[in-house]
Amino acid sequence: MVIMIKYGLYHEIEKRKMSFADAGDTVVLIQNGIFWTIREAYKKYVKEGVKVVALKDDYLARGYDEKDSPVPLISYDELIEIFEKDHKTAG
Amino acid sequence: MKRVLFVVYQAPVGSIWVNEAFRTTFGMYGEDIEPAIVLMDEAVTAIAKRNEPERVGLLPVKIVHKYIKKYGTEVYAVKEDLEKFKVTEVDEGCMAKQIPLSDVKNLIKESDFVIFM
Amino acid sequence: MKITIQVMKPAYTYEDLDSALHIAEAALKRGHEVRLFLFSDAVIGANKGIKPIKIDRVIPERMQALIDKGLRVDLCGICMDYRGLTPQHIIEGAKPSGLPELAELVATSDVFINFMA
Repeated sequence: MVIMIKYGLYHEIEKRKMSFADAGDTVVLIQNGIFWTIREAYKKYVKEGVKVVALKDDYLARGYDEKDSPVPLISYDELIEIFEKDHKTAG
Repeated sequence: MKRVLFVVYQAPVGSIWVNEAFRTTFGMYGEDIEPAIVLMDEAVTAIAKRNEPERVGLLPVKIVHKYIKKYGTEVYAVKEDLEKFKVTEVDEGCMAKQIPLSDVKNLIKESDFVIFM
Repeated sequence: MKITIQVMKPAYTYEDLDSALHIAEAALKRGHEVRLFLFSDAVIGANKGIKPIKIDRVIPERMQALIDKGLRVDLCGICMDYRGLTPQHIIEGAKPSGLPELAELVATSDVFINFMA
Protein backbone atom coordinates (compact mmCIF):
# COMPACT_ATOMS: atom_id res chain seq x y z
CA MET A 1 0.00 0.00 0.00
CA VAL A 2 1.14 3.55 -0.74
CA ILE A 3 0.32 5.96 2.09
CA MET A 4 0.45 9.66 1.30
CA ILE A 5 1.30 12.06 4.14
CA LYS A 6 0.69 15.71 3.35
CA TYR A 7 0.30 17.37 6.76
CA GLY A 8 3.15 18.24 9.10
CA LEU A 9 4.23 17.36 12.59
CA TYR A 10 1.17 18.55 14.50
CA HIS A 11 -1.27 16.31 12.66
CA GLU A 12 -2.49 13.40 14.79
CA ILE A 13 -4.14 11.55 11.92
CA GLU A 14 -0.95 11.56 9.86
CA LYS A 15 0.78 9.90 12.83
CA ARG A 16 -1.87 7.19 12.77
CA LYS A 17 -1.60 6.79 9.00
CA MET A 18 2.15 6.28 9.26
CA SER A 19 1.71 3.74 12.05
CA PHE A 20 -0.66 1.70 9.86
CA ALA A 21 2.15 1.04 7.34
CA ASP A 22 3.74 -2.40 7.36
CA ALA A 23 6.95 -3.72 5.83
CA GLY A 24 6.57 -3.57 2.08
CA ASP A 25 4.37 -0.48 2.19
CA THR A 26 5.59 2.92 1.01
CA VAL A 27 5.04 6.16 2.91
CA VAL A 28 5.22 9.17 0.61
CA LEU A 29 5.86 12.53 2.27
CA ILE A 30 4.47 15.35 0.16
CA GLN A 31 3.72 19.03 0.77
CA ASN A 32 4.10 19.74 4.53
CA GLY A 33 4.51 16.02 5.06
CA ILE A 34 8.19 16.56 4.26
CA PHE A 35 8.58 18.13 7.72
CA TRP A 36 8.51 14.58 9.09
CA THR A 37 12.05 14.17 7.73
CA ILE A 38 13.36 16.76 10.19
CA ARG A 39 15.30 14.97 12.90
CA GLU A 40 13.78 11.83 11.39
CA ALA A 41 10.49 12.50 13.19
CA TYR A 42 8.76 9.88 11.05
CA LYS A 43 10.81 7.14 12.73
CA LYS A 44 8.68 7.40 15.87
CA TYR A 45 5.67 6.18 13.88
CA VAL A 46 6.97 4.18 10.93
CA LYS A 47 8.00 0.56 11.41
CA GLU A 48 11.22 -1.03 10.16
CA GLY A 49 10.88 -2.27 6.61
CA VAL A 50 8.51 0.48 5.51
CA LYS A 51 9.95 2.48 2.64
CA VAL A 52 9.76 6.23 3.27
CA VAL A 53 10.33 8.72 0.46
CA ALA A 54 9.73 12.45 0.11
CA LEU A 55 8.71 14.53 -2.87
CA LYS A 56 11.87 16.35 -3.93
CA ASP A 57 10.17 19.54 -5.15
CA ASP A 58 8.21 19.93 -1.92
CA TYR A 59 11.33 19.26 0.16
CA LEU A 60 13.54 21.76 -1.65
CA ALA A 61 10.74 24.36 -1.82
CA ARG A 62 10.59 24.39 1.97
CA GLY A 63 14.21 25.46 2.21
CA TYR A 64 15.98 22.20 2.93
CA ASP A 65 19.13 20.86 1.35
CA GLU A 66 18.98 17.63 -0.62
CA LYS A 67 22.05 16.26 1.20
CA ASP A 68 20.29 16.61 4.58
CA SER A 69 17.36 14.39 3.71
CA PRO A 70 17.30 11.14 5.67
CA VAL A 71 15.00 9.60 3.06
CA PRO A 72 15.25 9.30 -0.74
CA LEU A 73 13.88 12.35 -2.54
CA ILE A 74 11.74 11.46 -5.53
CA SER A 75 10.41 13.25 -8.58
CA TYR A 76 6.76 13.14 -9.69
CA ASP A 77 7.84 10.69 -12.35
CA GLU A 78 9.27 8.37 -9.69
CA LEU A 79 6.06 8.77 -7.68
CA ILE A 80 4.10 7.44 -10.64
CA GLU A 81 6.55 4.51 -10.82
CA ILE A 82 5.67 3.69 -7.20
CA PHE A 83 1.96 3.66 -8.07
CA GLU A 84 2.65 1.49 -11.11
CA LYS A 85 4.07 -1.17 -8.76
CA ASP A 86 1.59 -0.81 -5.90
CA HIS A 87 -2.03 0.06 -6.68
CA LYS A 88 -3.43 0.16 -3.16
CA THR A 89 -3.54 3.67 -1.76
CA ALA A 90 -4.38 5.63 1.37
CA GLY A 91 -4.40 9.39 1.28
CA MET B 1 -14.99 -5.66 -6.68
CA LYS B 2 -13.25 -2.71 -5.07
CA ARG B 3 -13.19 -2.14 -1.35
CA VAL B 4 -13.16 1.53 -0.40
CA LEU B 5 -12.80 2.84 3.10
CA PHE B 6 -13.78 6.38 4.03
CA VAL B 7 -12.05 7.51 7.20
CA VAL B 8 -13.53 10.67 8.65
CA TYR B 9 -11.65 12.46 11.41
CA GLN B 10 -13.20 15.91 11.63
CA ALA B 11 -16.15 16.82 13.84
CA PRO B 12 -19.65 16.75 12.33
CA VAL B 13 -20.40 20.14 13.87
CA GLY B 14 -17.99 22.63 12.35
CA SER B 15 -17.16 20.78 9.16
CA ILE B 16 -19.02 19.03 6.37
CA TRP B 17 -16.84 15.92 6.14
CA VAL B 18 -19.00 13.49 8.09
CA ASN B 19 -21.98 14.31 5.87
CA GLU B 20 -19.82 14.19 2.75
CA ALA B 21 -18.32 10.84 3.70
CA PHE B 22 -21.79 9.33 4.09
CA ARG B 23 -23.08 10.97 0.93
CA THR B 24 -20.10 9.70 -1.05
CA THR B 25 -20.40 6.24 0.44
CA PHE B 26 -24.06 5.96 -0.55
CA GLY B 27 -23.05 7.02 -4.06
CA MET B 28 -20.78 3.98 -4.35
CA TYR B 29 -23.57 1.39 -4.37
CA GLY B 30 -24.32 1.85 -8.07
CA GLU B 31 -21.02 0.14 -8.90
CA ASP B 32 -19.25 -3.03 -7.90
CA ILE B 33 -17.80 -1.39 -4.80
CA GLU B 34 -17.94 -2.32 -1.16
CA PRO B 35 -17.67 0.90 0.83
CA ALA B 36 -17.33 1.32 4.59
CA ILE B 37 -16.90 4.25 6.95
CA VAL B 38 -14.65 4.71 9.94
CA LEU B 39 -15.33 7.56 12.35
CA MET B 40 -12.09 8.57 14.00
CA ASP B 41 -10.90 11.26 16.38
CA GLU B 42 -13.40 14.18 16.60
CA ALA B 43 -15.68 12.53 14.01
CA VAL B 44 -16.79 9.96 16.60
CA THR B 45 -18.99 12.68 18.10
CA ALA B 46 -21.24 12.10 15.08
CA ILE B 47 -22.75 9.13 16.92
CA ALA B 48 -23.23 10.93 20.23
CA LYS B 49 -26.89 10.81 21.15
CA ARG B 50 -27.12 14.53 21.78
CA ASN B 51 -24.98 15.59 18.81
CA GLU B 52 -27.06 18.19 17.01
CA PRO B 53 -25.43 20.24 14.20
CA GLU B 54 -28.83 21.76 13.39
CA ARG B 55 -28.70 23.56 16.75
CA VAL B 56 -26.18 25.96 15.20
CA GLY B 57 -27.89 25.94 11.81
CA LEU B 58 -25.78 23.21 10.19
CA LEU B 59 -26.89 20.17 8.24
CA PRO B 60 -28.08 17.36 10.54
CA VAL B 61 -26.25 14.03 10.63
CA LYS B 62 -29.49 12.18 11.30
CA ILE B 63 -30.52 12.48 7.65
CA VAL B 64 -28.07 9.69 6.82
CA HIS B 65 -29.59 7.16 9.22
CA LYS B 66 -32.26 5.85 6.86
CA TYR B 67 -29.70 5.31 4.08
CA ILE B 68 -27.31 3.45 6.40
CA LYS B 69 -30.21 1.13 7.13
CA LYS B 70 -31.29 0.93 3.50
CA TYR B 71 -27.84 0.04 2.16
CA GLY B 72 -26.58 -1.85 5.21
CA THR B 73 -23.50 0.38 5.24
CA GLU B 74 -20.74 -0.76 7.57
CA VAL B 75 -19.98 2.08 9.99
CA TYR B 76 -17.23 1.86 12.57
CA ALA B 77 -16.28 4.17 15.41
CA VAL B 78 -12.91 4.00 17.15
CA LYS B 79 -13.34 2.99 20.79
CA GLU B 80 -10.33 4.91 22.08
CA ASP B 81 -11.66 8.09 20.46
CA LEU B 82 -15.15 7.58 21.90
CA GLU B 83 -13.49 7.51 25.30
CA LYS B 84 -11.21 10.46 24.47
CA PHE B 85 -14.20 12.62 23.51
CA LYS B 86 -16.41 11.25 26.31
CA VAL B 87 -19.07 9.90 23.99
CA THR B 88 -20.97 7.73 26.41
CA GLU B 89 -24.52 7.84 25.08
CA VAL B 90 -24.67 6.63 21.51
CA ASP B 91 -27.33 7.25 18.88
CA GLU B 92 -28.10 3.85 17.41
CA GLY B 93 -29.24 5.43 14.13
CA CYS B 94 -25.73 5.21 12.66
CA MET B 95 -25.57 1.52 13.63
CA ALA B 96 -21.86 2.04 14.30
CA LYS B 97 -19.73 -0.83 15.49
CA GLN B 98 -17.26 0.20 18.12
CA ILE B 99 -13.80 -1.13 17.31
CA PRO B 100 -10.30 -0.61 18.73
CA LEU B 101 -7.86 1.49 16.72
CA SER B 102 -5.81 -1.64 16.03
CA ASP B 103 -8.74 -3.04 14.02
CA VAL B 104 -8.82 0.07 11.82
CA LYS B 105 -5.46 -0.98 10.50
CA ASN B 106 -6.95 -4.28 9.32
CA LEU B 107 -9.82 -2.47 7.60
CA ILE B 108 -7.29 -0.24 5.86
CA LYS B 109 -5.17 -3.16 4.74
CA GLU B 110 -8.20 -4.98 3.36
CA SER B 111 -9.16 -1.93 1.27
CA ASP B 112 -8.05 -1.03 -2.23
CA PHE B 113 -8.41 2.69 -1.67
CA VAL B 114 -8.59 4.57 1.62
CA ILE B 115 -9.97 8.08 1.55
CA PHE B 116 -9.31 10.27 4.60
CA MET B 117 -11.61 13.25 4.91
CA MET C 1 -3.09 2.17 -16.17
CA LYS C 2 -6.02 4.37 -15.17
CA ILE C 3 -5.29 6.85 -12.38
CA THR C 4 -7.88 9.02 -10.67
CA ILE C 5 -6.82 11.89 -8.46
CA GLN C 6 -9.32 13.42 -6.05
CA VAL C 7 -8.87 16.90 -4.60
CA MET C 8 -11.09 18.40 -1.90
CA LYS C 9 -9.28 21.52 -0.67
CA PRO C 10 -9.52 24.91 -2.39
CA ALA C 11 -6.87 25.99 -4.89
CA TYR C 12 -4.52 28.79 -3.90
CA THR C 13 -5.31 28.35 -0.20
CA TYR C 14 -3.68 24.92 -0.24
CA GLU C 15 -1.16 23.11 -2.42
CA ASP C 16 -3.35 20.09 -3.21
CA LEU C 17 -4.50 21.09 -6.67
CA ASP C 18 -0.94 22.09 -7.61
CA SER C 19 0.34 18.70 -6.45
CA ALA C 20 -2.50 16.93 -8.25
CA LEU C 21 -1.66 18.68 -11.52
CA HIS C 22 2.05 17.82 -11.17
CA ILE C 23 1.12 14.18 -10.61
CA ALA C 24 -1.35 14.24 -13.50
CA GLU C 25 1.26 15.70 -15.83
CA ALA C 26 3.84 13.07 -14.87
CA ALA C 27 1.30 10.27 -15.27
CA LEU C 28 0.16 11.54 -18.67
CA LYS C 29 3.79 11.70 -19.81
CA ARG C 30 4.16 8.05 -18.85
CA GLY C 31 1.19 7.19 -21.04
CA HIS C 32 -1.44 6.65 -18.36
CA GLU C 33 -5.10 7.57 -18.53
CA VAL C 34 -5.60 10.28 -15.91
CA ARG C 35 -8.80 11.58 -14.39
CA LEU C 36 -9.14 14.42 -11.90
CA PHE C 37 -12.18 14.60 -9.64
CA LEU C 38 -12.73 17.93 -7.90
CA PHE C 39 -14.84 17.67 -4.80
CA SER C 40 -16.07 20.20 -2.24
CA ASP C 41 -14.16 23.54 -2.34
CA ALA C 42 -11.73 22.16 -4.95
CA VAL C 43 -14.34 22.75 -7.68
CA ILE C 44 -13.56 26.47 -7.48
CA GLY C 45 -10.16 25.73 -9.04
CA ALA C 46 -11.82 25.11 -12.42
CA ASN C 47 -13.41 28.56 -12.51
CA LYS C 48 -12.15 30.25 -15.67
CA GLY C 49 -12.80 33.65 -14.09
CA ILE C 50 -9.97 33.19 -11.58
CA LYS C 51 -7.62 36.18 -11.74
CA PRO C 52 -4.52 35.85 -9.59
CA ILE C 53 -1.91 38.59 -9.28
CA LYS C 54 0.50 38.65 -12.21
CA ILE C 55 3.41 36.75 -10.63
CA ASP C 56 1.17 33.88 -9.51
CA ARG C 57 0.29 30.76 -11.49
CA VAL C 58 -3.11 30.52 -13.16
CA ILE C 59 -4.37 27.14 -12.04
CA PRO C 60 -7.39 26.88 -14.38
CA GLU C 61 -5.12 27.60 -17.35
CA ARG C 62 -2.68 24.95 -16.17
CA MET C 63 -5.58 22.52 -15.83
CA GLN C 64 -6.82 23.46 -19.29
CA ALA C 65 -3.36 22.78 -20.77
CA LEU C 66 -3.41 19.29 -19.25
CA ILE C 67 -6.96 18.70 -20.52
CA ASP C 68 -5.55 19.44 -23.97
CA LYS C 69 -2.96 16.71 -23.31
CA GLY C 70 -5.59 14.16 -22.34
CA LEU C 71 -6.50 14.85 -18.72
CA ARG C 72 -10.21 14.51 -17.99
CA VAL C 73 -11.65 16.66 -15.24
CA ASP C 74 -14.91 15.98 -13.40
CA LEU C 75 -16.46 18.38 -10.91
CA CYS C 76 -18.93 17.40 -8.21
CA GLY C 77 -22.14 19.04 -9.40
CA ILE C 78 -23.73 19.54 -5.98
CA CYS C 79 -20.47 21.09 -4.78
CA MET C 80 -20.69 23.51 -7.72
CA ASP C 81 -24.30 24.38 -6.86
CA TYR C 82 -23.31 25.07 -3.26
CA ARG C 83 -20.69 27.52 -4.48
CA GLY C 84 -22.73 29.24 -7.16
CA LEU C 85 -20.67 27.78 -9.99
CA THR C 86 -22.48 27.01 -13.23
CA PRO C 87 -21.15 25.16 -16.31
CA GLN C 88 -20.63 28.58 -17.90
CA HIS C 89 -18.08 29.45 -15.21
CA ILE C 90 -15.80 26.47 -15.70
CA ILE C 91 -12.97 25.84 -18.12
CA GLU C 92 -13.63 24.08 -21.37
CA GLY C 93 -13.28 20.35 -21.15
CA ALA C 94 -14.03 20.11 -17.43
CA LYS C 95 -17.48 18.72 -16.83
CA PRO C 96 -20.02 18.88 -14.04
CA SER C 97 -20.40 15.42 -12.71
CA GLY C 98 -21.59 13.62 -9.62
CA LEU C 99 -21.31 10.67 -7.32
CA PRO C 100 -22.30 8.08 -9.93
CA GLU C 101 -19.31 9.23 -12.01
CA LEU C 102 -17.06 9.18 -8.94
CA ALA C 103 -18.24 5.66 -8.17
CA GLU C 104 -17.51 4.65 -11.74
CA LEU C 105 -14.01 6.12 -11.42
CA VAL C 106 -13.40 4.27 -8.16
CA ALA C 107 -14.62 1.03 -9.71
CA THR C 108 -12.60 1.30 -12.90
CA SER C 109 -9.36 2.99 -11.80
CA ASP C 110 -6.25 0.99 -11.05
CA VAL C 111 -5.02 3.70 -8.71
CA PHE C 112 -7.02 6.29 -6.77
CA ILE C 113 -4.94 9.09 -5.29
CA ASN C 114 -6.78 11.06 -2.64
CA PHE C 115 -5.63 14.34 -1.16
CA MET C 116 -7.10 14.13 2.30
CA ALA C 117 -9.33 16.88 3.62
